[in-house]
Amino acid sequence: MTRTALLALILLASHSLPLRAQVPFDMTPERPASDAPIEGSRTGDEPASRPVVVTPAAQPPETEAFKRYLLPNGNLDMNGESAGLAWSVYLTPQQAATGAKLNLGYQNSIFVAPEVSRLSVEINDTKIADEAVRSADTVSDLSFTVPKDLLKPGSNLIRLHADQRHRTDCTIESTYQLWSNVDAEKTFLSFSGSDARRLQSLDDIRAIGVDDDGLTRFNFVVPALEQPSTTIPLMRLAQGLAVLADMPNQSFSFDTRSTAETKPGELTVLVGSPAELQPLFASLPATASAGPVAGFVDDPATGSPVLVVSGPTWQAIGAAIESVVAPTDVNGPAVRRDVITTKRWRSPDAPFLFSDTRLRFSQLGFKTEEFSGRRFRTDFTIGVPADFYANAYGEAVILLDAAYSPTVLPGSHIDVYVNGNIASTVPIASSGGGILRHLPINVTMRHFRPGVNTIAIEAMLESEEDKLCAPGATGSETPRFALFDSSEFHMPDFARIAQLPNLAASAGTGFPYGRSQDATRLFLDRVDADTLSATATFLGRLAAGAGHPIPVETVASPALIGSRSAIFIGALSQMPETVLTQTNIAETSRTTWGSDPGGQDAVNTEAALDAWREKLRGGTFAGWLTVFEDWVKENFDISLSSLRFASVSESSFAPSQETTLLVAQGASPDGSGTWSLVAAPTGKDLRDGVQALSAQGTWGQLAGHITTYERGTKTIETVPINDFDFVETQPSSLSNYRLIAANWLSTNILTYAVLLAVLGVMLGLATAMLLNNLGRRE
Amino acid sequence: MRKAGIILFWIITSLGVIALVTLPINLQTQLIASIAVVTFMAVIKILRAEGTWRLTALAFGTAIIMRYVYWRTTSTLPPFNQLENFIPGFLLYLAEMYSVMMLGLSLFVVSMPLPPRPSRAASEGKYPSVDVFVPSYNEDAQLLANTLAAAKAMDYPAEKLTVWLLDDGGTLQKRTSPNLLEDQMAKARHQELQILCNDLDVRYLTRDRNEHAKAGNLNNGMQHSTGELIAVFDADHAPTRDFLLETVGYFEDDPKLFLVQTPHFFLNPDPVERNLRTFEKMPSENEMFYGIIQRGLDKWNASFFCGSAAVLRRQALDQTGGFSGLSITEDCETAIALHASGWNSVYVDRPLIAGLQPATFASFIGQRSRWAQGMMQILRFRFPLLKRGLSIPQRLCYMSSTLFWLFPFPRTIFLFAPLFYLFFDLEIFTASGGEFLGYTLAYMLVNLMMQNYLYGSFRWPWISELYEYVQTIHLLPAVVSAIVNPRKPSFKVTAKDESVLVSRLSEISRPFFVIFAVLLLAVLVTAYRVYTEPYKADVTLVVGGWNLLNLLLAGCALGVVSERGELTATRRVKVTRRCEFGLDEQWYPATIDNVSVNGARVNVYAKNLGILPLDKRGLIRFTPYSSGHEEILPVAVRNTQVAGDIVTVGCLYLPEAARDHSLVADLIFANSQQWTQFQMSRRGNPGLLRGTIWFFGLALYQTSRGIIYFFSSPGARDKARLAAEAKR
Repeated sequence: MTRTALLALILLASHSLPLRAQVPFDMTPERPASDAPIEGSRTGDEPASRPVVVTPAAQPPETEAFKRYLLPNGNLDMNGESAGLAWSVYLTPQQAATGAKLNLGYQNSIFVAPEVSRLSVEINDTKIADEAVRSADTVSDLSFTVPKDLLKPGSNLIRLHADQRHRTDCTIESTYQLWSNVDAEKTFLSFSGSDARRLQSLDDIRAIGVDDDGLTRFNFVVPALEQPSTTIPLMRLAQGLAVLADMPNQSFSFDTRSTAETKPGELTVLVGSPAELQPLFASLPATASAGPVAGFVDDPATGSPVLVVSGPTWQAIGAAIESVVAPTDVNGPAVRRDVITTKRWRSPDAPFLFSDTRLRFSQLGFKTEEFSGRRFRTDFTIGVPADFYANAYGEAVILLDAAYSPTVLPGSHIDVYVNGNIASTVPIASSGGGILRHLPINVTMRHFRPGVNTIAIEAMLESEEDKLCAPGATGSETPRFALFDSSEFHMPDFARIAQLPNLAASAGTGFPYGRSQDATRLFLDRVDADTLSATATFLGRLAAGAGHPIPVETVASPALIGSRSAIFIGALSQMPETVLTQTNIAETSRTTWGSDPGGQDAVNTEAALDAWREKLRGGTFAGWLTVFEDWVKENFDISLSSLRFASVSESSFAPSQETTLLVAQGASPDGSGTWSLVAAPTGKDLRDGVQALSAQGTWGQLAGHITTYERGTKTIETVPINDFDFVETQPSSLSNYRLIAANWLSTNILTYAVLLAVLGVMLGLATAMLLNNLGRRE
Repeated sequence: MRKAGIILFWIITSLGVIALVTLPINLQTQLIASIAVVTFMAVIKILRAEGTWRLTALAFGTAIIMRYVYWRTTSTLPPFNQLENFIPGFLLYLAEMYSVMMLGLSLFVVSMPLPPRPSRAASEGKYPSVDVFVPSYNEDAQLLANTLAAAKAMDYPAEKLTVWLLDDGGTLQKRTSPNLLEDQMAKARHQELQILCNDLDVRYLTRDRNEHAKAGNLNNGMQHSTGELIAVFDADHAPTRDFLLETVGYFEDDPKLFLVQTPHFFLNPDPVERNLRTFEKMPSENEMFYGIIQRGLDKWNASFFCGSAAVLRRQALDQTGGFSGLSITEDCETAIALHASGWNSVYVDRPLIAGLQPATFASFIGQRSRWAQGMMQILRFRFPLLKRGLSIPQRLCYMSSTLFWLFPFPRTIFLFAPLFYLFFDLEIFTASGGEFLGYTLAYMLVNLMMQNYLYGSFRWPWISELYEYVQTIHLLPAVVSAIVNPRKPSFKVTAKDESVLVSRLSEISRPFFVIFAVLLLAVLVTAYRVYTEPYKADVTLVVGGWNLLNLLLAGCALGVVSERGELTATRRVKVTRRCEFGLDEQWYPATIDNVSVNGARVNVYAKNLGILPLDKRGLIRFTPYSSGHEEILPVAVRNTQVAGDIVTVGCLYLPEAARDHSLVADLIFANSQQWTQFQMSRRGNPGLLRGTIWFFGLALYQTSRGIIYFFSSPGARDKARLAAEAKR
């Protein structure tokens, strides 16, 4: 205690010294962006913002080896004959310098034949493990020494791959029984020595990692969080941290008091003036009373590093926050990104496609692969912008370079999936083997969504040998299929215009808030820990999607928002009336939602009607009609409801009693801004709901104009967009308008038919007039 | 100004349609739009709406076809790096685009054909002097006698009308030929025809050398004559009495008029009609051309000279140096030259001559080869699209007429395209089943409906395809040779006076049976592949269906090349004309029931006449249209049928004097009304569905007939082969 005070005194005294210029905290706001530390490039000298690391008074107790959990999304399921994941893990210089061991825990299906199934691990393209898959009974724990110097400071690419074959069965169906489950809790790098645990520079924020469930938590301790003036800087800091770490499952929690020990995948962030923080945290850097401070300090109580952001005033704290956040501003609203960063959960980053682009599979992280099994699968990711508007008409093309051996029988096929939905099937129709050279496969863009999209290619290979299935046949290593990395993915020019509302665009790239130069208005119905936690998590998600923090500005009263873009977070009952009107939420749900936990189990009319229809189908004329409709629907994807002229107006939505979170979007009253609403019946629901929603697996489901989350069933439901406004995002061009028209008319099918009819009649009239006036007439 | 506005409006609407159809919409939208358009067109067709609605229906069809073209171009071609698929695929694409282009051109030509002009016969006017040219090469004297007599009998001031027989079969060159047979025949012919001409009061003209074929012959005639107008009749084209009255008047109306063309009407069926027995009930093949296309061309002042049954202005011909003889279709070539120098043409849609067409399949093909090769020569030497002096519509019209003869190429490709898939497993057309339904099927339906809309009463469904197919086999090499060596083809006179007395296979029928066998094999392969490769049964079925359609056409063609024997050498014409029949100095009241160039059938009212002996001499006394007083034609009785008081006598003319030829001509050819009536009697649109069912039935029957001919008459086949070899 005395020591800290002394340090502070010395620093204070130094203010009067001419050496002041060398004081580490030079908070020049106009720091050029190019100086921003770029991840991985550790050689650059970053003089000004290097924070002081204060050596704590007491050495933390020597703990066991530091575990750096690896799996970005918790347990990893590797299904089928060929499965794997590549992603990158950020390590601090200390961690890279320390010798490490890789621990791998997995269990596999009893059907996997150990003699012919391999599980391999690569770090930075060096194979460090290649094991038979033989852990059917229990989770086995493998440990490998990572060669020295293999780990680098910064990003390290880890690749897990499983080649699995069935013990007895040769059918394609049997490959679905093959799985290996890599246990997140037992899969980690373990570093000896306490150095690995320490975080020093602000860049080390990126090394936050995950816990044994794939989660990343930022625990904010802010004594003054309920003061409204602290909200804006706190949100700025939260977003900055979200962008810096860029982990798939990040959440933020706010508290006024210090919480328990920091676990792996967690980072405690102390924000406040020394006076506010003093009671909670003893070893504050002394400089905090003098000027802005942002840096890591080891918590003397637990020994784990804590990020301290402090300063004598909240203004100074703001400056300290800037020193953390500023590097993330490189991708400002006006910057067009080349990639969407995904490497923390899958590598490489998804190329961000805005117009006609051809990408070789090698650029998408795929390496030529030969395959001897029966179900080959690989996937890659690409990103499309928020104003992607080609779902109805668009088709991308995969130019496939592949080969199949003579043993492959016709009837085999290659399927393409977009975000898990089948998008194309190419039959292998000729026998005797073949080489496909740039075979064009049209992939419908129907299931594309703004942000990151996963495209999977799956080859289903039937062969004569598999029909016989002699013993040991599954283990054959003769390749029967090869996919070459010279294959290409060709994205054509696509229609670009934003829709309002469109939650998918917000989820994918933070649109439209991420593009706005103007600060987004933020209305919180109350400023408390729950609301701030939810807000930070939500904004952090948006910021990570946008690639940069989104400037926000809190407003005390909704009346001050006017028609600008805004985000409303809080209890539905506290929301201004216009918000509910603009997002088409029933006014009554303000009082009913959450108030009646009993909720009578009314018969769902829709479901009951469907059941009756099912019961009565066939026989009657109406029954035949239904059969026909089903047939048309199945074969041509045309249903009565898709036969429409234009969008229909939205009906009023009321959340069900089971719903615990609601996200809705609508236009501001004059249509110039976008209003988003995040609401829940209670503060706890809000916090938990947003956290659950913003997880990697669920965030992608945020879509439509309303999305709801039910905590009980962990289900997400969306209300599709029926009525929307176009928001121009591109300079006007005829070719873009043409594509927009194509998409709109492909959605509103009957309009096209009517337009064609009208133009046909007009052309007929015009031709009649023309012919009556040209040539001979009689 | 108003015109400019209308053109602008049309351009804007067209651009709108183009913009709409080139949107890359999805399949669902295409399906719905196709269904909507097909329904709309069907409704308009069922309601028989005409005028603007007709053009609207055509506009709709055009939109769907443009969508097909857009889709076909952007998404169905096999990838370039699969050459084995790409090359046949691209050929098929070109063939389809050719078909679409031809449809577009014919739409332009016939979307609003000029209605038939009112009759000019009644109007009085000046009578310019007319030279009638009847060029002849090898036709026999009796045929020429009829034509010349009919020409001489035309209703026109006698002093203004000179009929010329331009004989190229009796030229000095031929009469002094080193070939003894030719020399003797030519001398005899020269003699005989001079006598005939003398008798008929017709000028006989021949020349020294047979240069430039028909065009040279006509030009020679021009040098020896002076009439203001020139009427041209082929040797077998006998004009009706009102021919000149109906045509000459137009030259007075328009001083820049160079041509009045009238349709060719044929008394006998072409081999297709004869072998399929459709002559009496279905419109002839040429009726589509003369009934609607020439009218369409006439709208754009592009009706062209068809070699005969036309009147031309000497002044115009003089200006361009007479009839052009660069190509072997001198008629069309001459018309292009005159149109290009600013002269106009008129088409009179009223049959005013009656002629003969080739009776055997081989000579039919010979005639078509000449047309096709001639048109290729024109395309090569006088490329109409870039011909200076022609208006834009005229250029398009001539392109339509000449490019039409490239049909053997696409027809061949359509015939063999399915086999690429069925036999060799090549995928030359990449589309899914749904796309096939939404685009290809819609296109085919719309195409058929448009054809039916445009030509419904003149051309029944699938008949165009049949005619194209039967010609393709032999026309393809002819067209190729004309393209490769455009100066090689020479003028060959089409034989029209043949007849088929014994049922036999045509001497050029062999390829049809081979193709039929191949297509039949492909059907079997289809069935086999559907069974063994169920995972692509849908594609196999679609391609197999296409092949089945080809097989139907090929089967029907077997009937076409199986020549039916006919007892009567010449066609009878139904007439009803009062007369008196004289037997042994006694005159009985009678009516002439039908006539042919050889004889007549007369219903005689006579009690107790009984059966007349064979070759008994009789007389027919009737009033010809030309003279107004009764005249007598001697005949010989060939057969008698008694039905109560009516005795039906079949008799053979015994023309003794030249006047008798005139009487025969008067009986058959004088009345133009009867040709019109005959044409009208078989005009009628069976509709797409009924027509298709009828055609399929016909095809099945003709297939069986062809196969029976094939197996039942090996002798005839050998004979045919021998004949063919002898010819070679």
